[in-house]
Amino acid sequence: MNVKIDTEGAFGSALVTLEAGEKFMSEAGAMYRASPNMEISVESRKKENDGMWGAFKTGVKAMFAGESFFISSYTPNDGQSGEVGLAPTHQGEVSSVKVGPEIWVCSGGSYLGSSGGVDLDTQYQGLAKGMFSKEGLVFVKASGEGDLLVNGFGRISSVDVSGGITIDNGHLIAFTEGLEYTISKAGGGWISSMMSGEGLVMKFNGNGKVLVQSHDPSRLGGVLGPLLPPREG
Amino acid sequence: MKYDIVCAPSYSLIEMNLNEGESVIVEPGSMAWMDTTIKPKTEMKGGFFAGITRKFGGESFFLNTYTAEEGSGTIGIAPGYSGDIVVRELNNETLYMERGAYLCHVGNIETSATWEGFSGTFAEGMFGLRVSGTGLLFFGSYGDIQEVEVDGQYTVDNGYAVAWEQNLDYSIGRSGRSIRSFLFGDQLICRFHGHGKLWVQTRSPRNLAAWVHPFRRVKSKND
Repeated sequence: MNVKIDTEGAFGSALVTLEAGEKFMSEAGAMYRASPNMEISVESRKKENDGMWGAFKTGVKAMFAGESFFISSYTPNDGQSGEVGLAPTHQGEVSSVKVGPEIWVCSGGSYLGSSGGVDLDTQYQGLAKGMFSKEGLVFVKASGEGDLLVNGFGRISSVDVSGGITIDNGHLIAFTEGLEYTISKAGGGWISSMMSGEGLVMKFNGNGKVLVQSHDPSRLGGVLGPLLPPREG
Repeated sequence: MKYDIVCAPSYSLIEMNLNEGESVIVEPGSMAWMDTTIKPKTEMKGGFFAGITRKFGGESFFLNTYTAEEGSGTIGIAPGYSGDIVVRELNNETLYMERGAYLCHVGNIETSATWEGFSGTFAEGMFGLRVSGTGLLFFGSYGDIQEVEVDGQYTVDNGYAVAWEQNLDYSIGRSGRSIRSFLFGDQLICRFHGHGKLWVQTRSPRNLAAWVHPFRRVKSKND
């Protein structure tokens, strides 16, 4: 398996080459090109030996994570190698991280794809955290062994955390397990914190790695939305 | 004529230097800036009928010719979307492209609409654009553009094919064949057949628009 990331900046994408018998998964609809021997199928987000009910539960959790209920899977079906290209909706970069040395937790909208050996599970963030964080109620946890692809809005920076780091709400892509976060105010007092325009931030404690995106997509949405005619409720 | 494509692939722009007497034909609206030595002329290229077919192909009825008349000059050409630009030298060849991909050309090149059939309704519309002749052709799209050498068959998500050579043909279908794939919102995809070059884009304006949609205000009952 080989994962090639194309172009820095606005239009990142990933071209994954799979050998016979290998498998890759992605957010439903992320495939934009594929070799003809690539078998594309949809499956619900479930773990092994999970049964129908388990599949349903993980599917519902995935919906809360801002992901579609189903993920697409890709396998070469003729014993030859094949390729599949994956790209996100937004302008921005795509990054690949190794799962195995670390377990990664990524925010719902940042998951782009992962190799077959990576187990995906959804992690409920708790009501208080979920309500106030822009990252959604549920995160996607990637364990097992393989590659994880994430997409960011704008530039993706990888930060080594020792001790702690503060990330503005809306800029988190993923973090390694072992880091814990709380939602808190940016500045000293509540009033100065709100006045600073930063509002709420995520404060991480511990050691590990964090991927952050330079831009917050919900701010672009907030600029564009009011400029468009109202939609039907 | 000399040209340079700057700021690719995010915000590609063609900077073209024309010697006196040379000209470039540009899709209306795509001229960003130019020297005063360059004079524009708007024409119905190829006559009324060609204009009509071009219109069906998602391009403009009129085309603008920019000619360096009083000495050499430079013109900046960019599409309406942010994205990549591809240059292709045509030598009595034909290229097919999606609506709106054509940007400009130098030389003897003609553009006309092609009927893509009803299979096209799922993609970019029922009409595509056929570009043929001899000269230098520039086309672009939203997102990065990647060149694929098709040898037999290749799969592209519906709406991500920018242009393809004349020896390629395509059909539209679903990615999976099972009933489950039909029920659960599977992707519509284009399957290209034949041997030749294919250009694919890595972002879709339609997906971006769908993402912005929930940010729109909700119409109140009194509106």
